[in-house]
Amino acid sequence: MSTQTIPVLVEVAVGGGALTVAEADRVAEAAQEAGVTALRLLDTLGERSTVEATLAAAYLAGRHDRLGFLADASTTRNAPYNLARRVLSVDRAAAGRLGLLLHPGSGDEVSDATTPDTTATVAGERWSEYAGLLARLWESFPREALLGDAERALLVDDALIAAVGHEGRYYRVAGPLDGPTSLQGRPVVAADARELGWDELATGADVVVVDADRADGAAALSAALERVGRRRSDVALLGRIPVAATEGAGRLLDRLAGHDLDGLVLVPPGGADGALAVIRHLVPQLSPSPAEPTLRAGLGLTPVAARLTEAVA
Amino acid sequence: MSAQLHLNVNILNAGVFGGSWRFPGTDPLASFSIDHYTSIARKAEAAKLDAVFLADTPVLDPQLRHRPGNSFEPTTVLARIAAQTERIGLIGTLSSSYNDPAELGRRLGDLDLLSGGRFGWNVVTTAGPVAAANFGRLGEPEHALRYRRAAEMVEQVVATWDERADSPQGRPVVVQAGGSTDGKRLASRVGEVIFSAEQDLAKAVAFRTELRAGAREWGRSPEELVVLPGVSTVLGSTEAEARERREVLDDVLPQAYARQRLAGQLGFSLEGLDDDASIPAELLHDPDRVGGTTQTFYRIVRDIIECENPTLRQLLRKLGGGGGHRIVVGTPEQVADDLETWFRQGAADGFNVMPDVLPSGFDEFVDHLVPELQRRGLFRTEYTGTTLREHLGLGLPGVPSGVWDRSPLEAAR
Repeated sequence: MSTQTIPVLVEVAVGGGALTVAEADRVAEAAQEAGVTALRLLDTLGERSTVEATLAAAYLAGRHDRLGFLADASTTRNAPYNLARRVLSVDRAAAGRLGLLLHPGSGDEVSDATTPDTTATVAGERWSEYAGLLARLWESFPREALLGDAERALLVDDALIAAVGHEGRYYRVAGPLDGPTSLQGRPVVAADARELGWDELATGADVVVVDADRADGAAALSAALERVGRRRSDVALLGRIPVAATEGAGRLLDRLAGHDLDGLVLVPPGGADGALAVIRHLVPQLSPSPAEPTLRAGLGLTPVAARLTEAVA
Repeated sequence: MSAQLHLNVNILNAGVFGGSWRFPGTDPLASFSIDHYTSIARKAEAAKLDAVFLADTPVLDPQLRHRPGNSFEPTTVLARIAAQTERIGLIGTLSSSYNDPAELGRRLGDLDLLSGGRFGWNVVTTAGPVAAANFGRLGEPEHALRYRRAAEMVEQVVATWDERADSPQGRPVVVQAGGSTDGKRLASRVGEVIFSAEQDLAKAVAFRTELRAGAREWGRSPEELVVLPGVSTVLGSTEAEARERREVLDDVLPQAYARQRLAGQLGFSLEGLDDDASIPAELLHDPDRVGGTTQTFYRIVRDIIECENPTLRQLLRKLGGGGGHRIVVGTPEQVADDLETWFRQGAADGFNVMPDVLPSGFDEFVDHLVPELQRRGLFRTEYTGTTLREHLGLGLPGVPSGVWDRSPLEAAR
């Protein structure tokens, strides 16, 4: 057994023929008790739509206040300002325990009507612009600006709040966002390595999810981070791996050490029973690091990676 | 009309007045904390209210220096409230102009599922260039075009809800506000709960009568409409105490804010106007031709000016830095008399309540006014259903189609 704690996420979906809302609640309760770092909440299940993952996270975080959540969402059909608001709202409500796994995709009806460059149609490029824009929106209203000075009738110091004035190839967004920054500086951004290039991942993500059987992920990520001027410790590399309900920790710890992974995303067998068995029996053998005091901390990331904004801007 | 009235609480951050956040004993920053919303919702449920209501505009309020705006996205707040309550209805405001129809329909249907059939969608078209700029636009879409898109979007969203068949209430309730000509047309066609902002009993009766007649023209029963005027309550255990509370709210109103807000509502600058003179009539316009502002509140303020001819100072005081909704000041018995009159005279099926200060004004409301209404038999003492539709006494209407003539919209594309 490992003596060092590691980030351990468990992947589930609410609705869409997977967990019912009541089952998801039981799974989240068990996950919090077992010290799981976060539940990853899928936003689609094959062709089927699940309960929208930021809302599923908002709901479950309202019942389990020490558990982290990583909600999937895509650029498709989500105007950046709207998704930025939803994710920051949940992150603030959950006291800094939310991450977003942002999938590359197409645009949304509202933004498409005013796309600055109508010839721009590359999903990876769109993702990079979108991820950078989210980070800037999330930092546009620092919570230090909150004064609450009733005596002088000054609620906020608006000199500290700045519009983002974003004008890219895909989006034009004025900002600032309506809510102050969260406890973890800003929500965690994760991405799936199967969907993006290494340089895009290295520039825009705090967390990269790879297939745990893939041996070259760590080296590819390190090289890309060096190219874009970020440190290896700025990004957590998580290996995603399907597990059986009765499985021991051996194979997983081998993958972790052998493939130089920082943590794991466990994919339990279908249904509530499979998820509960994995959480109750397998997870404790892995010494998980809970999302304490924030998801960013549970993932072993630096408290605020302000360099991300600079790198992308 | 049903025998009992309906009550929602509008959790308008620190309260409806411009100075609510500075009211003695109030934590000025409370509305930036999620617990502010969830604890008020739990109290509303304990008092058996129909629903909590969240207003929304997807912007950072440019007036934030002087008063709080909303700082949380409504569907995520309502999902959290759903997790911590069992019965209370959940009404959220979502823009028809600045959301993708397929995404919005799916997400709102999901919120209805998460909450066990307690959700209602307040459809707004979202006025103003500040919001437009967060969605790539250099200016806001024209008023009539915004309403055509809203009609088209409601039709599309309701159709997606109808296909899912997983809602305990059949599908979410469609809520609509807006006193403009376009707004009333949309409300009478598809609205189930209608918010209004009338100040005057006779006008409120006329508004409700007009909407019910409009619904009939569309082949709907007037009983499918629940009309809820907004009302701001200022309560005291004696009349003098209530008046004093109202005075304090005026004293703590940030003046710079009140003037900017009124200028925004009227669409012209107040600079150079004498505080002790009335507003020059030549500055006022026809409400349907006002751009860059919410027509409903322009109308309200214009009506006050025309009926009462106040000085600028008196007008600022009367509005209190609030939206322009009606303000009722008094003891629980006096305020109950007022609400009962509006209900019995056909001006209202209930009220969208905007407490003067949150949470203290809502505590007064649930501790003293709700019991008074219950004593009179005007308000429920227990929930009889579990869904928002059941609380409101609404059945499941047919799915609207052909809500708007599409040709002008297509031509504008």
